[in-house]
Amino acid sequence: MSNKENLVSNKCKKCGYLQDISHLRCLKCKNNTFDTIEANGTCVLLTYTILKAPPLEFRDKGSYALGVVQFENGIRALGQIFPKENLRIGMKLKPVYEKICNNLDGNEVYSYVFKLIE
Amino acid sequence: MNKVAIIGVGHTKFGKLEEKNLMDLLCDASLEALNDSNTNDENFDSVYLGAMCPGEFNHLSGIASALVDRLGLIPAAADHLKNGPASGGSAVKAGFHAIASGMNSMVLVVGGEKMTHISTPGYITSAVATLTHHQAERRHGTSLPSLAGLLSRIYLEKYNAKLEWLSDIAIKNHRNGALNPIAHFQKKIEDFMESAVKKGKGNWNTIYEFLSDDNSNPIIADPLRLFHICPISDGAAAIILCNGEIAKKFCDNPVLITGIGQATDTHITYEREDITVLNALRVSSDQAYRMAKKTPKDIDVAELHDAFEILEAVESEDIGFFKKGEGARAAHEGRTEIDGEIPINPSGGLKARGHPLGATGVAQVVELVWQLRGEAGKRQVSDAQTGITCNFGGFGNNIISILVERM
Repeated sequence: MSNKENLVSNKCKKCGYLQDISHLRCLKCKNNTFDTIEANGTCVLLTYTILKAPPLEFRDKGSYALGVVQFENGIRALGQIFPKENLRIGMKLKPVYEKICNNLDGNEVYSYVFKLIE
Repeated sequence: MNKVAIIGVGHTKFGKLEEKNLMDLLCDASLEALNDSNTNDENFDSVYLGAMCPGEFNHLSGIASALVDRLGLIPAAADHLKNGPASGGSAVKAGFHAIASGMNSMVLVVGGEKMTHISTPGYITSAVATLTHHQAERRHGTSLPSLAGLLSRIYLEKYNAKLEWLSDIAIKNHRNGALNPIAHFQKKIEDFMESAVKKGKGNWNTIYEFLSDDNSNPIIADPLRLFHICPISDGAAAIILCNGEIAKKFCDNPVLITGIGQATDTHITYEREDITVLNALRVSSDQAYRMAKKTPKDIDVAELHDAFEILEAVESEDIGFFKKGEGARAAHEGRTEIDGEIPINPSGGLKARGHPLGATGVAQVVELVWQLRGEAGKRQVSDAQTGITCNFGGFGNNIISILVERM
């Protein structure tokens, strides 16, 4: 994966609970110190959908797949999946950093997406 | 704690109401509730108004203050509650607190939304998607229907359920809506199919063929199709609350709110240990059951938040009616029909009654009041004495449950 955006989670220093970096305190024990850890290796597709009626800012895409994945070290993430055909729960994917849409100002928006392992 | 009685209700028609603006709808529902409760000459202590996006959809703010002025209820206190699609539920809860605490003795609760005038494709989807976690979900293109698609797929896989069973929920809710004179869709899916055949749009042997055809029922968020998803609606609903001690001064058949609960869950849906569990509903309904000293077995009728038909299935489990993973099957087996063991959404639910966001939490309570007063007409649940609601203020991350009983 490119180093333009690291796919990370916070691990609570007190109880070890793994959670999104937006939480200021641990959801389990209320502690506020964490180790930031990176997603590790490949990931497995937990569930997916193919959205055909996107929100306004994604209308230029028409249709795209969104999925929830889980990495070997327990980190979960949501993102678009390329290509959107022949998806199945349990398939292995890898994160790649690329353009996901043009926003309403016409600027390119980048993020991690998930792709089939060749 | 004082007893909290509902002594009157009001409900506009739901649907595409071109001739009415938001304030008209709120006033219509409120005036009907004032009439219904014989409180036209009473002084009101407070007005609680639930509406999700009046700023985004109608370019309005300060709408609770405007409403008391329009209704001639000055100097009643006025608050506008915004809790996503549970704004109505939050308004009912605020009214409950005001009466239960003894702070107020007469309260108007109203919820409403005006949405159908917005024609920009994706605008409403986008506005509602601002409920989701920006960094983890929304910036990737997440909408509420897509979260429902993700939930549907994992639920169907995990519990070996069938997509047709979710269709059965939509079929039931449309059938119920066809019996409800204020519903957005007073039409069975069978009737939609018949109209399509007459117009030469296709020929289908069964309703499931009709519902799995990409032309008659397009995919929105695979596996969910148009008929698995609630419409965009206009409408408003209102209730009048007063101290239970004086309720019978105003009406013969008051309904009591005997239990109320509210709970939250993770903003990022995939952070829930089991994505198919609505823990906020388990907690909020448990609070409501305990307060009312009831159990799920005591419930005669329920109004659940089926913005997507997968939600009715999952909610029917986490509110305690069915074991985990059996909600969709139970609906398929007819156990949630009006004459079934636990009737769910006799109103037609969000699917067929419609879903004017801020109105829904109040409309659910209004339907239960009609059911408990025996005034639900052709969709009447026989001898309904106790009912419960589930109102969603996000995607499972903020849920309100309200339990009502005959007085």
